[in-house]
Amino acid sequence: MFEYKEIYDVIVVGGGHAGCEAALAAAKAGAKTLLMSQNLDTIAQMSCNPSIGGIAKGQIVREIDALGGAMGLITDSAAVHYHLLNTGKGPAVHSPRVQCDKKDYQFNFKHALELQPNLDIIQDEATEVATDDKGVCGIITLRKSFYRAKTVVLTTGTFLRGTIHIGEIMFPGGRYNDMPSDHLSDSLKKLGLNIIRFKTGTPMRINARGIDFSKFRLQPSDDPFQPISHFTDYQTQAKRKFLSCYITRTTDETDKILRENFMRSAMYSGNITALGPRYCPSVEDKTKKFPEVKSHPLFLEPEGNNTQEYYIQGFSTSMPEEVQRALLASVPGLENAVITRAGYAVEYDFADPMDLYPSLESKKVEGLYCAGQMNGTTGYEEAGGQGFVAGVNAARKTQGKEPFVLRRDEAYIGVLIDDLVTKGVNEPYRMFTSRAEYRILLRNDNADLRLCPYGFELGTLDKKYKKAFENYQKQVELLKANPAHEIDETDLYPWSAQKVRFHVEVHQKYAGYYERNKKDAEKLAQSDNIVIPEGFDPSTVKGILIESSQKLKSVRPRTLGQASRIPGVTPADIQLLAIHIERFRRLKNAEKNA
Amino acid sequence: MQTTIVAPATAAGQSAVALVRLSGPESLSILRKLTQADKVFPPRQQVFCRLKDGETVLDEALVTYFPAPRSFTGEDVVEFALHGSPYIRGRLLELLCQAGAVAAARGEFSYRAFLNGKMDLLEAQGLCDLISAGNKAAHDLALSSLDGRLSEKFTHMKTALSELLAQIEVRLDDVDEEMTPLADEYVASLLQTQINALTKLADTFSVGKFIKEGLKTAIVGAPNCGKSSLLNALVGFDRAIVADQSGTTRDTVEEALDIAGHKIILTDTAGIREHALDPAEQEGMKRSLRAMEKADLVIFVTDLTRELTAQEKNLWQDIEKENKPVILVLNKTDQAPQGHCSLDGKALKTVYVSCKNGDGLETLKKEILAFVSAPQLAQEDGVMISNLRQYEAVLHAQTELESAMVQLKYQTGLELYAEHIRAALAALKDLIGEVTPDDVLGIIFSKFCMGK
Repeated sequence: MFEYKEIYDVIVVGGGHAGCEAALAAAKAGAKTLLMSQNLDTIAQMSCNPSIGGIAKGQIVREIDALGGAMGLITDSAAVHYHLLNTGKGPAVHSPRVQCDKKDYQFNFKHALELQPNLDIIQDEATEVATDDKGVCGIITLRKSFYRAKTVVLTTGTFLRGTIHIGEIMFPGGRYNDMPSDHLSDSLKKLGLNIIRFKTGTPMRINARGIDFSKFRLQPSDDPFQPISHFTDYQTQAKRKFLSCYITRTTDETDKILRENFMRSAMYSGNITALGPRYCPSVEDKTKKFPEVKSHPLFLEPEGNNTQEYYIQGFSTSMPEEVQRALLASVPGLENAVITRAGYAVEYDFADPMDLYPSLESKKVEGLYCAGQMNGTTGYEEAGGQGFVAGVNAARKTQGKEPFVLRRDEAYIGVLIDDLVTKGVNEPYRMFTSRAEYRILLRNDNADLRLCPYGFELGTLDKKYKKAFENYQKQVELLKANPAHEIDETDLYPWSAQKVRFHVEVHQKYAGYYERNKKDAEKLAQSDNIVIPEGFDPSTVKGILIESSQKLKSVRPRTLGQASRIPGVTPADIQLLAIHIERFRRLKNAEKNA
Repeated sequence: MQTTIVAPATAAGQSAVALVRLSGPESLSILRKLTQADKVFPPRQQVFCRLKDGETVLDEALVTYFPAPRSFTGEDVVEFALHGSPYIRGRLLELLCQAGAVAAARGEFSYRAFLNGKMDLLEAQGLCDLISAGNKAAHDLALSSLDGRLSEKFTHMKTALSELLAQIEVRLDDVDEEMTPLADEYVASLLQTQINALTKLADTFSVGKFIKEGLKTAIVGAPNCGKSSLLNALVGFDRAIVADQSGTTRDTVEEALDIAGHKIILTDTAGIREHALDPAEQEGMKRSLRAMEKADLVIFVTDLTRELTAQEKNLWQDIEKENKPVILVLNKTDQAPQGHCSLDGKALKTVYVSCKNGDGLETLKKEILAFVSAPQLAQEDGVMISNLRQYEAVLHAQTELESAMVQLKYQTGLELYAEHIRAALAALKDLIGEVTPDDVLGIIFSKFCMGK
């Protein structure tokens, strides 16, 4: 076996949206990092739709961006269409969404990785996580190479034992035309990870040559628009070429075809048994579950500047190819459209996220971190957010630093990870604004104020922005205190007087609610600051209800706050825990003093 | 930030002085809401002050302020020494909750004291026992009350509020803007229904109703079994007309009685028999049936010297049907010492009494007192709020829904209505169980076809 001379601090396995953020974040945080992917030409590929952001997801992108991650900047570098969603509702739920040139996105991301100091990239397939008595020690590849590492971040997406379904046809694949990773899944099982199976799907792509656009409702790009990254220059961005999206609906004929062919869908023929995301149902699913809804919206998204391919959101399906063709023909304007790629469903293995600490490190294998779809989530943005946190924490572990954990009142990323590790998943997890109890605090317009300070502290956000950010904070405070304050624009770019005014205006609208959320959140922070000490097993505390004790045993919360969020654990249970933790602490102190 | 908790520090019932204690960061500001603005509270000194109840004075009390950390719990503490009336004490607890205090859970004062280093490890063990007993009791209670009418009412409320929340949330997360907007009148009427239900529930709380208005107790029974004699014996003078001829009490007679500081309003009713002799007697009987319906407690009197009549048995069944709490009084032990009664059912207690020589009257008073000071007192459709914590939760939820109404009126936005509905559901958590975001998403996905 070839053994590579370098010992990496962090090896990231997988080059999707989680893996790319993880590798960049680890390298920026000062760790010698290796990114390993079985195919470098599919790094950061947008496997499903060509857009980034969306409701709640747009906020996550803004958060990754504020922390110094890349998703926002790469999105702007590949943007072909901007749309701010939910503008009919309050600014707390405004969410940016950006259509991207799919190829620009992935190649720009690859380029950013190549330019990153401290980061190597290698094309090879990981087949085994190597361990010694201390935990993770490296990765063994398909080529039988051994790369030593202090920590490993797994971001395998849908590749672990991936199976593709199109109607009755099924074959191995992590994505259409990409080989699945079967060995790695076995290796993880051997390490004791709890491996479960989920399903997801994607719609067909079509050639625009056959589309009659006059039959659709046009959705042009916003003008003016908001770049999704805090650090993108608006004037430069405004010079880009923008493309439009189109909106239409399925018809009675579509409905009829679906009904006649239910049993031919891989979802209903029995070929697929794994659960899929309720939010991204296939079109046959929608018809099955809501027979009274006869027409569903379709959203046509361009795949890029140098292609005629369109993605049809709303038409996700695992029907056989001939049915897919008939479905397409049933939509006015698409009668003559030609399928370039058939829609399909994919089944894949993931690891139970309840086996992870909030740092995303495995409780079962020290030094092993997991992020993205591998943790049972769905979505580029959810993956990117976890990737960032896992990458930073893997790096920090090698540096002997405390893990970086965002609280639920600080970021949607905090809500996401806390939900995953505390409650687990029973369908692919997607973010919604309703999952955040402090929704008023977690807004699109204040992601920078919430998280840039962490970015600077972690070393992931470029120091060159520090002065401007501090001035931005200052101007915001001054304007809040005095509505007549004249904003000082020196050293403010990439922030601006306009951003200061907008943020303060939104803040004033929610001022009362902001204070109220903050007050509740402080209570949460108190109990989240009480760490359950090493060597203390909460499930053994006398007087705790049996049901709670079992749950505490399986979740193994890190803090009292996390324990309190486990469904079914009562306030009295938490009080008992608090007393015993305090008791434990006092006894330890007494021992030390004796 | 900690909540500010409140609880009585002396046992219920009448004593010369009642102590009520507040602990937490808001203690002083809550106290200020009940006193004159310029009142000064030097640390650890008893201050004489008049506690306000709206425009009136609730009590003249001695109030002591113990700033943190030199207090029992290590937090800011305020202690009220009040006159020992159950009404004053109960009303103060109510006012403190309305001013922002939260009813303390079992052992919560000691719990805080322990965490703030005011208590040693040995004392902590006793505290753990106390909390775990409460934990188990609450858990068992939650299980046993699953089929009760109270839980039915709360389940209904939970469904209505979480479905309303789902309807709002689905619109907040709707990318395609497929959903028709919610009509304001629809949201308003849903909110109003729940506000009304909560108001009714809050009104059933004992401190508000019984102690303030007194316990309405109807004395019922067949003609001439000694109802009026019982009333007179309890009150101690001849208020009701007593005669050997049956049907003497043609009207209802009301009398207030004080048992250990509790106000008991006794209603002596006309005897109930099938064929009333004259119109006046008929009218009296109608009134007595009404008095029984309105009563919080029924005292059913029978005569031990004779067998039960069919009418008495019917009346007994009526009481059972009404689901009224009842004490069965077997009268005339002086004439029939070996007597017994063949009525069975759910009488709280059976008491043997002689109105003539006063035997058993003290026992009867004790039973009435036990009933009035028990936690479950008032009812609304058979549903009641039994403790200060539930009351505080209902009050809190009601305030939140009223705020949602205000936001709706000013059209501030769906996300703000949602904030208040979420807060109302959170306030009711102990009563209706938790409504998690997953529960709301579950409703959304089962009712709406959404998703890309």
